[in-house]
Amino acid sequence: MEVFLSALASLTQGFANLSWQGVFMIALACVLLYLGIGKKIEPLLLVPIGFGVILGNLPLANMSAHDEGGVINLLYEGGILTELFPVLLFIGLGAMIDFGPMLGNPIVLIFGAAGQFGIFLTLLLALAIGFPREQAVSIAVIGAMDGPTAIYVTSKLARELLPAVSIAAYSYMSLVPIIQPPIMRAMTTKKERATLMAISEKKVSQKVKILFPIVAAIITILIAPMGAPLMGMLMFGNLMRESGVLKRLVDVSEGALANVVTLFLGLTIGASMLGGNFLKWQTLLVFLLGLVAISLDTVTGMLLGKLMRVLTKGKINPLIGAAGTSAFPMSSRVVQKEGQRANPRNFLLWHAIGANTGGQIGSVMAAAVMLAIMAGMGI
Amino acid sequence: MTDLAFGLTMTVIGMGVTLLTLYLLTLVIRLLNRLYPFKEEKKRS
Repeated sequence: MEVFLSALASLTQGFANLSWQGVFMIALACVLLYLGIGKKIEPLLLVPIGFGVILGNLPLANMSAHDEGGVINLLYEGGILTELFPVLLFIGLGAMIDFGPMLGNPIVLIFGAAGQFGIFLTLLLALAIGFPREQAVSIAVIGAMDGPTAIYVTSKLARELLPAVSIAAYSYMSLVPIIQPPIMRAMTTKKERATLMAISEKKVSQKVKILFPIVAAIITILIAPMGAPLMGMLMFGNLMRESGVLKRLVDVSEGALANVVTLFLGLTIGASMLGGNFLKWQTLLVFLLGLVAISLDTVTGMLLGKLMRVLTKGKINPLIGAAGTSAFPMSSRVVQKEGQRANPRNFLLWHAIGANTGGQIGSVMAAAVMLAIMAGMGI
Repeated sequence: MTDLAFGLTMTVIGMGVTLLTLYLLTLVIRLLNRLYPFKEEKKRS
């Protein structure tokens, strides 16, 4: 009878060790799964993250990212803490991006810098609130609107914030069509939004397309070597794409590789969201500051757009400025939609995509420069 | 260094270097476009 009771007791250990935080996180995971499966919002990320949260928060399962020796822990230590997953994702990203619109109209690259200003303003805000410097930088990088970059920087500087920062970065990326339009409308008059831009799909030679990733990698890495893993892989992926001789590798990079890494990344990040360390006011602040960062990126991009409109005597539609972020291609689509709403004859997509790819380079550059300055300060 | 000084240093240097680097890249692209302008491929007869 005693043996029977102890056997029964061992089977109830899981229930007995379930904390209220664990239950809350499992409920939250169900919401993520519903959004991913039911509403089809970023299913590639939300489904693995949601299920990872469930696995990580079930007691005694040894499936959280922090359970040493567990399967997920292996992925966490090998892929996240070593920064391998975000770096591998950048190869796929480079293989997917066509820099053609930017190469045909290089001035739009400047919008990619203006779109990063929100990162730095949010850094000041996070420091003022009282976040330590490493955490403040990690939170500010949410404004890069670039999941892999945010994960890369946070895994270097503030691993304790990794779950909150990565969820915020990916969530806000998918919410760009909701976050940006009200800011765009508030900052411009209908006349400004209706500004027609010349449709000049300037073609670029294949030699330029091949040489750009090589030269860009050399220049940017020489300036900020700390960003070499991200910039190097982004440009390598793009070189493979433009070279025209590595079709099989390009197919793998933008397909299987990116998918496998996204799967492991999502599952692992989800399994690192444990109730005890996620359910804090700090997490809420991270989300709020991330939203501020993304909004400020849009504001500063639009301000540059307005300035450019004045300088070019009305040849540039200020909405283009909102695309100078890393949310590719969501920001471009939003710009196109808002432009056409103000003037049905407007076709801003080509210009917006140029600014958007500039934002991709700008966000990596901003993160690399921040890491380089931190390293220079001995932090 | 106070947090404010740290934040301002990051902002000024970070934003400045990002802007300068991207401007440098625009110059590089212009140069490449000048060196290797787009030419329509000749139709093979």
